Order: sequence, then structure tokens, then C-alpha cells
Amino acid sequence: MGEVILTMKDIDKSFPGVHALDHVNFEVKRGEVHALMGENGAGKSTLMKVLTGIYQKDSGTITYKGKETEFHNTREAQDAGVVIVHQELNMIGDLTVAQNIFIGREPKKGIRVDDKKMIEDSKKLFQDLNIEIDPREKMSNLTVGKQQMCEIAKAISHKAEVIIFDEPSAALTEKEIADLFEIIKDLRKKGLGIVYISHRMDEIKVITDRVTVMRDGGYVGTLITAESSKEDIINMMVGRVIYEDPKEHSMVAPDAPVVLKVEHLNAGKMVQDVSFELHKGEILGFSGLMGAGRTETARALFGADPKQSGTISIMDKSGQLREVTINSPQDAVKYGIGYLSEDRRRYGVVVQKSVTENTTLATMEEFCNGLFINKSKEKKVTEKYVKELATKTPTTDQLVVNLSGGNQQKVVIAKWLTRDSEILIFDEPTRGIDVGAKNEIYKLMSKLAAEGKSIIMISSEMTEILRMSDRIIIMCEGKVTGNIDISEATQERIMDKATRNIE
Amino acid sequence: MTKKKKSILSDQRFVVLLVIIALSAVFSFMSKEFRQYTTILSMLDFSYYDLLMAIGVTFPLITGGVDLSIGTGMVCYALIGGTLIRNNNVPVLAAMLICIVLGILIGTLNGVLIGIMNLPPFLATLCTCMITRGAGSLCSATPWPTLNQPGGWFHSIFKLTIGQGRSASRYPIGFLWMILLVILMEFVLNHTKFGRYTIAIGSNKEAAALSGINVKFYHVMVYVVCGLFTGLAAIAYAAVTPTVQPGTGAGLEMDAIGGVFVGGVAASGGYGSVVGTLVGIFVIMLLKTGLPYVGLQANWQQIITGLVLIVAVLIDILKEKKSAK
Amino acid sequence: MKAKKVMALVLCAAMVSGLAATTVMAAPEDQFDGLTANEAYEFPMMVKSFQATYWEAAMKGMDKAAEELGVTYTAQGPNSESDIADQVNMINTAIAANPVGLGLAACDTSSVQEALQTCVDKGIPVVTFDTGITDAPEGSVVCEVCTDNAQAGAVAAENMYPAIKDVIANAEGQVIIGEVNQDATGQNIQQRGTGFIDKMIELVKADGKTVAVKGNEFYVNAATGADATEADADVVIQVAVPAQTTVELCSTEAQAILSQENCIAIFGSNQVSAEGVLAANANLNVLGSDAANGDVIGVGFDAGSIIKAAVTDGTFLGAVTQSPLMMGYYAIYALTAAANGQELEDVPTAGYWYDATNIDAEDIAPNLYD
Repeated sequence: MGEVILTMKDIDKSFPGVHALDHVNFEVKRGEVHALMGENGAGKSTLMKVLTGIYQKDSGTITYKGKETEFHNTREAQDAGVVIVHQELNMIGDLTVAQNIFIGREPKKGIRVDDKKMIEDSKKLFQDLNIEIDPREKMSNLTVGKQQMCEIAKAISHKAEVIIFDEPSAALTEKEIADLFEIIKDLRKKGLGIVYISHRMDEIKVITDRVTVMRDGGYVGTLITAESSKEDIINMMVGRVIYEDPKEHSMVAPDAPVVLKVEHLNAGKMVQDVSFELHKGEILGFSGLMGAGRTETARALFGADPKQSGTISIMDKSGQLREVTINSPQDAVKYGIGYLSEDRRRYGVVVQKSVTENTTLATMEEFCNGLFINKSKEKKVTEKYVKELATKTPTTDQLVVNLSGGNQQKVVIAKWLTRDSEILIFDEPTRGIDVGAKNEIYKLMSKLAAEGKSIIMISSEMTEILRMSDRIIIMCEGKVTGNIDISEATQERIMDKATRNIE
Repeated sequence: MTKKKKSILSDQRFVVLLVIIALSAVFSFMSKEFRQYTTILSMLDFSYYDLLMAIGVTFPLITGGVDLSIGTGMVCYALIGGTLIRNNNVPVLAAMLICIVLGILIGTLNGVLIGIMNLPPFLATLCTCMITRGAGSLCSATPWPTLNQPGGWFHSIFKLTIGQGRSASRYPIGFLWMILLVILMEFVLNHTKFGRYTIAIGSNKEAAALSGINVKFYHVMVYVVCGLFTGLAAIAYAAVTPTVQPGTGAGLEMDAIGGVFVGGVAASGGYGSVVGTLVGIFVIMLLKTGLPYVGLQANWQQIITGLVLIVAVLIDILKEKKSAK
Repeated sequence: MKAKKVMALVLCAAMVSGLAATTVMAAPEDQFDGLTANEAYEFPMMVKSFQATYWEAAMKGMDKAAEELGVTYTAQGPNSESDIADQVNMINTAIAANPVGLGLAACDTSSVQEALQTCVDKGIPVVTFDTGITDAPEGSVVCEVCTDNAQAGAVAAENMYPAIKDVIANAEGQVIIGEVNQDATGQNIQQRGTGFIDKMIELVKADGKTVAVKGNEFYVNAATGADATEADADVVIQVAVPAQTTVELCSTEAQAILSQENCIAIFGSNQVSAEGVLAANANLNVLGSDAANGDVIGVGFDAGSIIKAAVTDGTFLGAVTQSPLMMGYYAIYALTAAANGQELEDVPTAGYWYDATNIDAEDIAPNLYD
């Protein structure tokens, strides 16, 4: 570790009604990976936005390379070498990868944009990152994971001296994360200062040198990673101990009936001949690398995307397994399937609407007397679920946009519980959710399963898969490559199947 | 996070109401002619069709779409209704019903093109705009189509005249119908499944679809409702204009759409209110009526109306920025 | 109806008005005496729109002439008078078929220049009707069959003035005469509006009063003879032009004029603006025929059932009508003559006055379309 390159001292920032940052201190040294941790809403992102000029601080000082500095916009920060890799992707879907990376600073040849140079430079960037992406590909054709890699490549291309990674791994697979760590280590060696924001404790232990913890907009403390335990950090963050052990054996009764049977499902390139069974009360984990076709399988099953062939059978009220036709989400909902998307803001909740309106969105019929909505009934049911799921919201009229990720997820769960769905598909149920809330979601899922709901859980987090699943389906490149009981599952076995095609 | 205290000033509808009061005060101060009852009467006369179109188009606008066919559609239905009265001796009541049915038909066509065939709303309704414009011109073989028959009861739907000639008293009862319709549609928007889904489609169509809502059906219905109100607007239009000119109507939708935006519908969809549309339309009507009274040439009306629109949309954007903090 | 008889009447009206210099010579329609078509010609006739029944009357005239001469025509036109580009397209398409002649009422005179040049190149004779094209390419327009709009506007002023003469003479303070023009860009309306204003100024000044013109800039600048400022003139002529040519916008403008207490008269210079005046009056109820008792004198232009009804019941003192029938009629005659290879001189048609007393007269009624 070298000299200090960046110091933020006594940073204070208020928004109307919210004291977002309360005299926070933070520093980064050259050749250091410094973790910034805290639950969602702790102020990490705000602090970084103040640093990179998106927000202006109310008071405090920022010293960068020995000089007191204030950036007025991201452009200024970028030019000075302070670059942020955002949690939310800022890519333009209709442009190519190369165009996105060089947007705003396109190389010129005369008055013309030099596409060739742009593509060559992008290729080199990707080679350094050790990933395979065609710079000519349209951004919208890439998976979320690959888009994130492009974002990182873009940041690195800015001759940065301080790079801020805002939850870079949230969308990445284990393999991609490993690649990312190689890159980060490389950058550290070159003497760059790196800020690493993440919820994933394992990663923090592996990659970071120091950890600064924030809570509720305030500064809690800074630790040397090597000298502190996972529990120490988590305790600083939440003030309570998180229990995180893998499940040892399946909780499903051996004679539990099959509630959902999928046979030879084909839907585009990403879903090829997929077959599996889901038992009553089971949590069926879907593991695999990013782009393995898990989400695509779920969407095809749910009727959100068209399928080419395959049969789906669902247990009806009398306990008989019957073949059903699902051509639209409406059909799926009718047969008691609920889908909780990986991208909540885009597919899960209507953010500008209230908790109540989101909760009853899939079940309007039940709340209508003839034409009109029975608002008091709506409110009663919503309040029941807010209580049951311990959703943190001041009132049921609160707009969902104002809730944290974990609480948004609970609203989506409430929506499907209101619908009385028997089969719930959780796609990355804890993405972007802080540690405390994550635990609550896990408890909730276990409780639902114990009550007889059947759950398909798609997850890219190995610990999550091992902790929650009763059985694990592993997919690779659109095909099912493994189906193992939790008692036999190990991280190594899963990774093994996830990285190869059909045994 | 605590729920933000809603200040009445943050409600655009209230702000717009203040604008209406301010404009009225300015015009009254500058022109004594403006202060007459007949001015209000005329302004109301010409506001009905604008308002009806605007109520209708509020729904597509909330879904993030638009309906450009309302202006030419309105004129087209009125022309067809008037032609049928004149050439085929169709009773006035039947002609009114025909206007409404035609509105619903074109609305359905818009809805199917947009909701089911996935055409962009701008494009789909641009096509129906041309179609209705052309169809309206077809009726030009008949001189003077109008629903308004001399001595008939039709005109009294919107303006009750008691007495004869110069001593007659005139009551703009059309305004009462408008208020009732606004209340009804505000209720529909906030208290029915249809209204809830309209907002959901505008706010997050994918999430609505993945919740198992029949998004296609409701998307179509949004345009059907818009068509229905265009049909009603055709009746109001025929009631206040001496005759309906074939081939006109293009551009009339702009006042209606402008009014809706002034009333606070988010330009990106997902939020809106019918009461907002009501006050928004009256800002447009006040400008349209008042500016000639203060001696401003007509071109300035349009320029000023355009400026007002920019301010309205800016308020909307600033509001969104603030709520995104 | 004998075309010649109507033409004679038009000539009378023109002479009375004292403006028709062209009529001193032999009647221009004499050039069509004994005309027969050499072949069964077919002419494309470009009208400005099918919007107003005005054009229906013109087509009636074309029908009659075509029947008399044994030729045929096809009427074409855009949806509305403001669809300039559409009309230019239609003209180009018509020219491409190499017709023996083209009848043209141009929506916008400057936009058809190129098409007219093509006609010169191809040797297609063009007869303009309703609207003249002053700066047409040499040799393209062989004959112009148009209303003398300045004269027609003047006719309106001449007939309005006697009704308000005493009111002006006895007024204690300023009085206003309104004029609503649907636009300030069409040559027809420009000439008509200015014709009315100029004549009115002349008449008012002849009785020793001072005049000013206010409102739309074009008309204020085009008017000649105003001798006072807006503030201290005895008579102010207030000219309004709406943003779009719709009845409701004309109505709003008319209302702003009519609601002034010292407004004594108003002129709507075409069908749309005259209807706008009537729509404004629906609420204000100030128009009438007794100026001495405070009625505002209204004068319209063109015809149509609404304006005719207003003239009949005294809401309008009267109106000026053009003769679309005659223009259509002579346009076909001129085209046939041109196709035969005859040299032609222009055929001006006049606008003339009608009121409740002569609205049903045999020589007036046929021009008053419904």
C-alpha cells in the first residue's frame, strides 16, 4: 500500500427531510482495495456520488492527490481520473459495445468517427479483462453480466487513478467474479486506488485490504480486513449476528407429490429440452452461470416468452397432475404460478404506485364489487401482509419507489400471496438487497415452503443456493446439466456441472 | 423513510387553478369587454369539445401513448352524422348515437393497432388521423352537414335558451354535463380496475403483464374510451359551430393534448388526473379567448400557448427530479 | 339559365361600382361567340378543395359549359385549402398525363410556378379561375377567369355605408367598424379585405370624418387613405385575422370586436369568417338592421344556408357573392377555345350585392349555393 491518494473528511450532506451523510470520513491509498460497506440506505452510494460530482457536499473537504478538490460533475471527476462503475447499468441498448465504451469521446478520423479504432481499442480492453465480447455486438443483445463487464471496461479505459466499483458482482457469475478479481488485483498492483462497494462478505474477505463501514448515513469505523472476522464487519453494519450455514438435507417429505412437471421444454437458443419436476413444499434451486438459460426457462414456463415445444403439467385442486397450456402470464397466474423477477424495478413493481396498489395488482377481481374497487378491503389485506412479512413501510399508501430493495421484494411476494399462488418462481430473490433484509427473505421463503408452497429459486450466489435449496438443478448453455439433492451438493460439484455441457 | 407531507402547492392542479385565476384577472383588467357574461358563455361553448377530447386522450397519455386522430375523428363523425340527417332524414338522436359508435370503432382500431399489433401510438393514430380526415372529406358532396337543426332541441343540450331574441337568457348547462363527466372519469381512473390498470400500463407495462393482467385488452380499452369521448366531442362540436367544414380538424387535437399536459399528466405516462385535464383545458381556452380581447394578434396566441406548455412540462420534470431526490 | 344574361348583370354591377376599367371595351365573353370544340376534349380542373360548397357551384358551371360544348372535365382538389403540397402533387400528376389544357384554382400561387413552367415546356395551356397568378411564367396562363376581389370588397363597403352613415355622423366619440379576414396570405382575401377598407375610408372621409385602421399588420399597411391615429380618429376600422382558418377561431376574433360598445358594423370577408361573425353573435345578439337603435350592422360574403338565412332574417344587412358558377362556366369555355388554338383575353367576373329583397331574384339566386 502506498501513499494516500484520496481523503474525504467530515462530509455532510442533507436532502429535504433526510440527513443523508453525517460527517463521514473515508480515505483510499494507492494500491489498496478499500471496501465500503453498509446496509442499503446507509449512505454509501450518496458518499460516492458526492465524490464524483453528481451531488455537491454541504460541508467537509475532499483531498485528491494532495490538493483540495471539488468535482462539479462526473465529467470533471472522470477527467481527473476518478471513475465510478455504477450498480445500475448506464448503457445504451441500441448502440454497439464499442460505441458505448467510447461514448462522448469517440476517436475521430477527420470529421468521421473512427469506428475501426474504436473496435480495436475495445478488443484490447476486453483482452486485458480476459473476457470475450464482440465490440460490434449491440449492447441490448448482451446478458446483464456482460453488460456489466462492458461498464467496467469503460471505466478502466478512462485512465483512472481511483476506480469505484458499486456492487460490481451483483450481476456476475462466480467465474466472472473470479475474472473481475484478477483485474482488480492487477489494477492494485499498478498503484490505483480502488473503492469496492459490496454486500457479499466472502468477496470482501478475498479482495479487500481495508473495510469502512457506514450505517444510517454515519461513519461507523474502518478495519483492516485481514485482522477482522466476517462477524465483526456484519456486527458493525447491522448490530446483530447473521447465521449463514448451508442446508444439510432436504426438508421435503419423501412422499411429497409433484406439483409441476416440465417436459422437453424448448424456447429459443437459451432453453433446450429442459425437463424437471417440482414437489410440494420444495425449494428447487436453479444454479448456473450467467446466461445459462435459467431466467429464460422461467419466463417461458410463465408464458412471458414464446416456447417452441414441450409440455407443462400442474397439479389441480383434486391432486391430479394435468397438462396445461400456458401462452401468456395470465394463463400462468390462472394456474397458480407467481413470478418474482430478477429485475424488480423493471418487471416486478410499479414503482410510482403505492404498496397497496402493487399488492393487489394481480388480484383486482377479488377487490372489485362489480365495477368499482373496494378500497377498504384492499387496505385490510395489504396491511395483513405488511404485518406478516414485516415489510418496513410507514403506511400502505407509501409509494414503492421509496422502499428499500428488500421491502420492494416483500411487496412483490405479498402480491403473489394475495393471489394465493401455489408455485412461486423467485428469480435472484436477494439481488441488491442488504444483509439484514436478505436474511428475512430467506426466512420467509423457508416459511412459505413449510406451509406447502412450492418454490423455484434461481440464484447466482452459491451460498444462497446451498443455504436455501432442497434440490438443485444446474443449467449450462440452455441445457440441464445436473439435478442433485442438497445432501450431495457441494460448491465444487455444482461449479463442475455448471461449466460443462451434458454429462 | 417517512411519507412526504404533501403541500397543496405541490399539486399541479392547484397551481394551474391559480394560473386560471391570474389569467382571468389580467384579461379582465386589460379589457372591460372580457368581463362580460357573454364572453364566459362563448368560452364555455367552445370549450366543450376540447374538453371532451381532452378527457378521452387523458387515458392514452397516461399509458405513455397518444391519440392524434381525435381532432380529425371528431370532425369526421360530426360530418357523417350531419350528412345522414340531411340526406337520409336520420333522426338527430340516431345521428348522435352514430357519432359515438363511430368514435368507438375508430378507437377500437387504434387500440388493436397499438395494444395488439404493437404499433407505436404516434404512428398508429397518425394513420387513423389521415383516414378520418379523408373520410370526413368524402362527405363534402353534401352541403352544410350539421347536427344542429333550425328550431331543434339539439343546441339546448349544451346551452339552454329561455326567451326570444335579445331578451333571451342563456344558461351554459353543458358545463354541468362536463363537471359530471369529469367526476365520473376521475372516479373511473381512481376507483376501477380499468383506471388502475391504465396507470399500471403507463407506469410499468412489463410488471403489469407479469402480474397476469390482460394488458392487451386493457390497452385496447384505453383507446376505446378515448374514441368514445371523441364521439361525444363530435356532438359538442356540431352543437357550437354553425357548420362543420369537411377536411378540417387537423390541429384541433393539439389544444386538447396540450391542455392535458398543462393539467399535469406526466409526459412519460404513469400519472394523471381528469380534474387536472379540466383545469388544463381552461388555461388553453382562456388564452384562446382572452388574447384577442387584449388586442394581441392571433399568431401570438399560439406562441404564448406553446410557452405555457413548455412551463407545464418543465414543472412536471422538476417535480420528478425532486421526487427522485 | 343563360350565361350571357348573368354576365350582363355582372357587368352592370361592375359599371355601377365604377371600378371595372376592363369593361369599357367589348365584353370579353364575346370572344366565345359561336365556339365549338374541335375534339371531345377532357380537362383536369384543379379546385382548391371540396371543403366549401362554393366549389360545388363552380362545378355546376363547369357541368353546364361542358354539356354545351361536348367536352368533359375531371375535378380534383386537396382536402382543405391549406394543403398546398397536396395540390401541387395533384397538379404535377395531371400534367404528367399531357392534357390538352389545365384549369387551375391555386391554393398558393407561388408554389405552382414550377408546374406552370412545365406546362409552358409541354405546350399545355392553363386557364386560371377564382384565383389569378400575377407572376406566372410567360406563356403559361392563357386566360384568367377571376372575381375582381378589390371590387367585390368595395361593393360590401358601399352597401354597408348607407346603413351606418347617420350613426357615424351623430356619434359622440369614436366608433369601430370591424372586419374579420380568414387569413392575410391568400391574394383573394388580401384584395377583398383591402378593397373593403379602402372604399370605407373613402366614403367616411367624403363625409368629413377621420379614419384609422388597426389590428392585423398586413391590412393596416395595405390600407390607403387613413388620415388619423388610432387614438383620435372618428372611425376606426379594426381588422382581425385568426391563427387558423376555422369558424371557431374566426368567431373568437369577431366576438372580441363585437363586444366593444362602440362597434357599429362588421364585415366577414368570406364564408368561414362570415359564419364566425354569426357564431359570435349567437351569444352576443347585437347584429340587426336598425343601426339607429344600436344594432350592429353585419355584412357577409359568399353564400351558404347559414349566411343566406342570416340575410333573409335581417341578422345580416346583406352579403356580397361571387359567381363561382360563372367562373366555372367560363373556365371550361376558355379551355376549349385555348385547345382549339384561339388567342384569349382575361375574363373578370364581379362580386355583387344581395340582401333580403333580392335574394330570391332570378338573376341572383343561381349563384347562391346552399
